[in-house]
Amino acid sequence: MNLFRSEEHVHEWLNGRRPGTSIPVTTLAALASRWWADRLAPDWRPHTREQNQAILDGLGLTGDFWRLP
Amino acid sequence: MDDRDLELRNHTYRAFVELGRAPDPEEVAARAGSSGDGVIASWSRLHDEHALVLDPTRTRIVMANPFSAIPTPHRVLAAGRWWFANCAWDAFGIPAALDTDGRIETACPDCDDPIALDVVDGTPERADLIFHCLVPAGGWWDDIRFT
Repeated sequence: MNLFRSEEHVHEWLNGRRPGTSIPVTTLAALASRWWADRLAPDWRPHTREQNQAILDGLGLTGDFWRLP
Repeated sequence: MDDRDLELRNHTYRAFVELGRAPDPEEVAARAGSSGDGVIASWSRLHDEHALVLDPTRTRIVMANPFSAIPTPHRVLAAGRWWFANCAWDAFGIPAALDTDGRIETACPDCDDPIALDVVDGTPERADLIFHCLVPAGGWWDDIRFT
């Protein structure tokens, strides 16, 4: 899970390997905020799979690649 | 993972943030009124539930996501301190968890050029970068260190 300068750099880095999925850094920031914001809360409880899937779905991160087990 | 495990988990995270590094079992035990062995047993259950990640001996923290206990290419300045994140996703998670702005420094894995950006109110100050996730969500915890 890395940041790249551009999609071209992703392509070069993959060097023929099967790609995963790319998203804009702005989407990543929104994802991280929703995923991690409660991590230090005194009443923290583990997210359920459904909660985490809803975070992904809410950002349009849908389809087989983003489906949690 | 029971309520006592969650309490120890919260002590562990608070200690990580206060110390700026991963606490050892005795440091958490002192805060939680437990023993080092009790903390290790609790950590092991939390590891199995993906609430943190231990080293192969199961006595030391490797990841208290989004924080990394070991140096990585993803550095974050937040709340007056530099942190290591486990990946680019976690790098954005550190300011989010600390509820503050931050600066992320990493490098493009393709060309090694430095990448730096500020995050203000949860928003990156530049939008030209790309995040690539190689492993599908269904396999993230198969090998969390690779993911």
